[in-house]
Amino acid sequence: MSVFSTYPGQVIVDNPVSVPIEHRFDPYVDNGGTLLSISGEDFCVVAADTRQSEGYSINSRYVPKSVKLSNKTVISMGGCYADCLTLTKKIQQSMEWYQHAHGKTMSTAAVAQMLSIMLYQKRFFPFYSWCILGGLDEEGKGAVYTYDPVGSYERESCRCAGSASSLIQPFLDNQIGFKNQESNKTKLSLDQVLRITKDSFTSATERDIYTGDYLEIFVITSKGVEVQKMDLKKD
Amino acid sequence: MSIMEYNGGAVVAMVGKNCVAIACDKRLGVQAMTISTEFKKTFQATPKTYIGLPGLATDVQTLAEKFRFKVNMYRLKEEREIEPRALAHLVSSTLYERRFGPWFVEPVIAGLDKENRPFICSTDLIGCINFAKDFVVSGTTSNQLYGMCESLWEPDLEPEDLFETISQSLMNAVDRDCLSGWGAEVTVITPEKIITRTLRSRQD
Repeated sequence: MSVFSTYPGQVIVDNPVSVPIEHRFDPYVDNGGTLLSISGEDFCVVAADTRQSEGYSINSRYVPKSVKLSNKTVISMGGCYADCLTLTKKIQQSMEWYQHAHGKTMSTAAVAQMLSIMLYQKRFFPFYSWCILGGLDEEGKGAVYTYDPVGSYERESCRCAGSASSLIQPFLDNQIGFKNQESNKTKLSLDQVLRITKDSFTSATERDIYTGDYLEIFVITSKGVEVQKMDLKKD
Repeated sequence: MSIMEYNGGAVVAMVGKNCVAIACDKRLGVQAMTISTEFKKTFQATPKTYIGLPGLATDVQTLAEKFRFKVNMYRLKEEREIEPRALAHLVSSTLYERRFGPWFVEPVIAGLDKENRPFICSTDLIGCINFAKDFVVSGTTSNQLYGMCESLWEPDLEPEDLFETISQSLMNAVDRDCLSGWGAEVTVITPEKIITRTLRSRQD
């Protein structure tokens, strides 16, 4: 291979070789955060922290992860915030179509099934979102539906999702499900559930870097949806 | 496949009022298959100190024997038992000797010093010591244990309450980890006595 220059800095080669360069774009980003939902006899609690992060940086200290869909239903989503936003918009628009077509608000169970179908429609390029749907069912009892990113769903009594889910879930098993302990209590009051929720998040904030800043709690009862906000550690 | 997750296991230690407790699960597995349900991961180092060794099982056994040797040699040379803080540094140096080909364990140490003050600490696989004042966790179940301990622990628990707290933390945490569980053993160390109890837990 012979190399000659015309002026300093420029190099001309007489037999250039081309090598393929692979360009990649990773479509997913993990914005972190933790959410949980607990169902009661006649209420449902949906709580999520409000920190949005990207790697080791914090994008914002207050970006709510939960959205009120109707007076009976609240959805909370963690994972890729962009996907969560779009998915929320799709759900809200579908609910509006339903309202006009049927003359009534979608029930929690109907929204639950619709969300599952919406998620599976993107089975081969999924929404990177961990959804938890909380609300009241047609009998007025608390309902929690949990999803994986491609739409597998199940009704449960309580669930947490997100970055600190492995920290909080065993605590919920112990306190809400009374696992590994002798207990004849089967129902918890709203106050007890709220205390367990707050304790879960303060503990998660201590040990998980993606959880913190503020905690927003949506309480769904027959009277409607009430929102509480409390501070979490900001470090 | 991660080497630290090949055999599975969980260890936790907590500080109480003039006492410490250390607990471990009893599972030994080869990835998904459970081989033994009597593989305890805590070992008595001195009459008042225990070491917990979760991680790769072959290294758990080898290091348990190495530390038994080193503690015995210390006792022969110094004519006294090794203090927990010194044992922590001994463990740390032993692990750092293998900095570029490490032992795949993350030990936990719990004991009372000569003034019967509680002491716990944990190290990573290359010997960085974490001197905690409240609790330490290690093993494949560490995330779940962090969540449980952070919520359930409070300072100055009496030995009986400390036993309940550490037992609940371990049992509920390992129930959310498929590589740990199949029984649990809890040791509570007080100035007067050491009580080791086996927990009745889910066998799956």
